[in-house]
Amino acid sequence: MKYPRLILPFLLALAGGIFYACSDKTGTPDPTPSGNDTFKSGMLTNYADRIIIPAYTDLTTQLTTLETQVNAFLENPSTTTQEAVRPAYRAAYLSFEGTAAAYFGPAGALLLNSYLNTFPAVPAKIEQAVASGTYNFELPVVNDSIQGFPALDYLLFEPGAVGKFTGPNAAARKKYVRNVMSRMKGLVANTSTQWQGTYRTTFINSLKTDVGSSIGFLVNQFAYEMDALKGPRIGWPFGKLSNGMVFADKSEGYYSGLTKDLAVANLTSLKKYFAGAEGDGIADYLVLLGKEALANQVLTQFDVAIAALQAIPQPMTESFSKNPAAVEEAYRQAQKLLTLIKTDVASATSVQITYQDNDGD
Amino acid sequence: MMAIRVPHGNRPVSIAPLATFRITFGLLMAYSLLRFWMRGWITSVYVTPSFHFTYWGFGWVHPLGDTGMHLLFLLLFLASLCIALGLFYRAAAVIFFLGFTYVELLDVTTYLNHYYFISLVAFLLVWLPANRHYALDAYGGWIKPRPQVPAWTIGILRFQMGLVYVFAGLAKLNADWLLRAEPMKTWLPAKSHLPLIGPYMYDDWVAYLFSWFGAGYDLFIVFFLLNRKTRPVAYLFVLAFHGATALFFPGIGLFPYVMILSSLIFFSGEFHTRFLGYLPFPKNSLAWGTYRFNRPKAVALLAGVYVFFQLLLPLRFLLYPGKLFWTEQGYRFSWRVMLMEKAGAAYFTVKDQTGTKAYAVDNKQYLTPLQEKMMATQPDLILKYASYLADIFQKKGIENPRVYAEVYVTLNGEPSRLFIDSTVDLAAKKLSWRPYDWVLPYENNLP
Repeated sequence: MKYPRLILPFLLALAGGIFYACSDKTGTPDPTPSGNDTFKSGMLTNYADRIIIPAYTDLTTQLTTLETQVNAFLENPSTTTQEAVRPAYRAAYLSFEGTAAAYFGPAGALLLNSYLNTFPAVPAKIEQAVASGTYNFELPVVNDSIQGFPALDYLLFEPGAVGKFTGPNAAARKKYVRNVMSRMKGLVANTSTQWQGTYRTTFINSLKTDVGSSIGFLVNQFAYEMDALKGPRIGWPFGKLSNGMVFADKSEGYYSGLTKDLAVANLTSLKKYFAGAEGDGIADYLVLLGKEALANQVLTQFDVAIAALQAIPQPMTESFSKNPAAVEEAYRQAQKLLTLIKTDVASATSVQITYQDNDGD
Repeated sequence: MMAIRVPHGNRPVSIAPLATFRITFGLLMAYSLLRFWMRGWITSVYVTPSFHFTYWGFGWVHPLGDTGMHLLFLLLFLASLCIALGLFYRAAAVIFFLGFTYVELLDVTTYLNHYYFISLVAFLLVWLPANRHYALDAYGGWIKPRPQVPAWTIGILRFQMGLVYVFAGLAKLNADWLLRAEPMKTWLPAKSHLPLIGPYMYDDWVAYLFSWFGAGYDLFIVFFLLNRKTRPVAYLFVLAFHGATALFFPGIGLFPYVMILSSLIFFSGEFHTRFLGYLPFPKNSLAWGTYRFNRPKAVALLAGVYVFFQLLLPLRFLLYPGKLFWTEQGYRFSWRVMLMEKAGAAYFTVKDQTGTKAYAVDNKQYLTPLQEKMMATQPDLILKYASYLADIFQKKGIENPRVYAEVYVTLNGEPSRLFIDSTVDLAAKKLSWRPYDWVLPYENNLP
C-alpha cells in the first residue's frame, strides 16, 4: 500500500489551501497587480486618466465658477444676477452628469451622487431647514433631498426665488445656500483627490470582473444609470408608475428647466464611458471578446436613444403632458438600451448585474 | 452502475471512511456557515427582503427575523461542530439537516446545487452510524463503539457522489457545451487577469479544452475512484480539477472543497484508519463487531426509495417539451452545475381588470438585486413574482389586477430575445406540473 504516502501530503497541503483560498474575499480589489492582461490594464488606465479623473477635475472647476456666480447673486439678489447664475449652474450640473457613471470607489464611499443629485428636492424640508437653521447634511437618505444640485435648483430658480433672498429671512437663506455650495465643493474635491491618489492605482490594477472589480463597477453603473434614466429621469415623472398621472415637478432640474439637457448629457456621457472616449473602453473589450456586433448594436442604440430624447420638445417637463408620444418613444429606446446592457453586455463580459455578492454554481 | 454492490450490501467493512466523512463534513459546514455569516449574507438574503420566492408547496416557510436567523445559524454552527466531534451526533445531525434544509427552503433565488447536495448528505448522515468510532459519543460510552459497519452505509454516500458527477457529466453532452464551448468561451476571458495562464484565456481552444475535459471528468471520474488501482491517480485529478474550478470560478464558493473532501469516501478503510491515526482521537477499541440497524428491513426500504427518487428526479426534464436551459422545467435538483450563462431583464406592468389603467413596476421596490437577477431568467419565479405583484396592487385598490411581463433573456452568448409571452396575464396563471405555456418557444438565433 504505497498510495497513502502520496495522498497524505496532498491532504495536508489541501487543508491549508482550503482555508487560505476561502479567506480570499470577493469584493475587495487586488492590492497589487496580479495579472498580466495588458488590454484590461490599458483600458482601465484610459478610463482613469482620460475619462474619470478629467471629469472630476472639470466638475471641480465648474463648481468654483458656479460658487462665484452664486455669491454674486447672494450679495446682490436680482433677476439680473440670478440670470448670471443660470449658465454656470447649467454647466456645473451637466458636468456632474459626466461623473455620474463613476459612482463607485471614492464616490461610492462618500455617497457622492446621493448627496449631489437626489431629486426631486423636497421644498418643505428645505424651507424647514432654512427657517430652523438646524440641519445635518451628513445624514444619508433622510437629508439627501435637501442639498446638492436639486436643492440649488429649488432655492435659486423656483418662481419667486429672488424675492426670498431679500425678505426678512434672507440671511438664513443665504447661509443655507452657501453651506450647500461648500458641501458640494468639499465632496467633489475629496473624490477628485482620492482618484488622483491611491484609488487610481487600485482601479487600474483590478482586472477581475466579479462584484467589486473595476469592470464589474463600470458595467453595473451603466445599467444603474440607464435604470435611472428609464425610471426617475423620465418614466416616473412621466407617470409610468402612476397610470399616466404626470409629476413634472419630480423631474431632475425642474425649476431651472434643465430636465432634457440633463438627460441628454447623462446619456451622452454614458456613451462616452461605454466607448472609452478616444481610447479602449468596454465596447473595445467586447470586440476583443469577439462580440463586435454587440458592441456596434449598443453604440447604435445609444445614438437612437439620444436622438429620441432630443426629439422631445422643450421644455421636457411640459412635454410629459403635451407630447406623450415623443416621451414614450424615448422611454422605449432607453429600455432597449438598458436591456442590452443588463443582459447581453453583462453576460458577454461575465459581469453580474447585482451589487450584492453571492455564491453561484 | 454505482458503488452499491447490492449482493454484498451488508458485508462488514471498516467504519473509518464514514468517520472521516463525518469529521470533514462537519468542519467544512462549520466553516461554510461562519463564512456566510461573516459576509453579511444572513442579513442580505434572509432579513432584508420583504418578499421571498418560496418553493412550490412550501409557501408556509418563513424566515425567523434578524435575531432568529442569526441564532439559527449559530445553532447550525454548533451542530456542525458536534457532527465533526461525534458528540450528541444523532441529535446534531437531525438539527443540522432540518435547520439547513429549512434555510434553503426560505428562498429559491439562493438555490445552489451544492446546498441541495449538503441537505441530501445531511439527511443520509442522520441515519448512518457515523459516530460509532473516532467519536466522542463512542469514547464517552453513551453508545457502543463499532469498528465495522454494513458496506452499504458507505456505498450510499459513494452513490450520492457518483450521482452528482455522472448527471453533471451527462448534462454537459449538449451542442452548446461540446460544439460551441459555451459558456466556457464567455467565462474564461474574464479570467485573463490570472498570472501565467491569463493570456490564453482569450483563445478558443482553451474553452474547448475546458469543456471537453470537464465533460469527460464528470462522466468517468467516479468509476476511476471506485477502482482500487486507479484511485490514487483519480484522486489527484479530483484535486486538480476542483482546485482549478476554485481558482477560475471563486464565485462557486465552497463547492470545490465539498467535492474534494467528500471524494475521500472512495478510499479504503485502511487508508482512512491511517488518516484518522494522525488525528488526536482517543482509542476506543473496547467493542467488537459490526453495527446493526434495529430495523434493517425498514432502513433498507428507506434507502431503496431514496436511491430510486435520486435517480428519477434529475430525469424528469425528459417529460417536458422545449429546451431545458430555456424553460428550466426540471432544471433544479438535477446536478446541472456551471452549465449555462443566462442573464435577463424583466419589466412588469400591472393593469386593472379593464386593461385601461397601467402601472409600470419598479422591481427594486420589492426585490433585492440578487432576487431580481435570479427571477429574471427563471419562469416559475417570474410567475411567482407576478402573483405577488397582483396581491400588492389588489391591496392598493386595483381590482383583479392583471400582470404582464416583458422579459428579455440571453442564453450562452446568444443575442437576448423575448422570453415570456408579454400578452399573457401572468396573474391568472397558476404554477403546475404542466409545461409552461406562457414561456415563448426557444429559437436559436445565432448570428
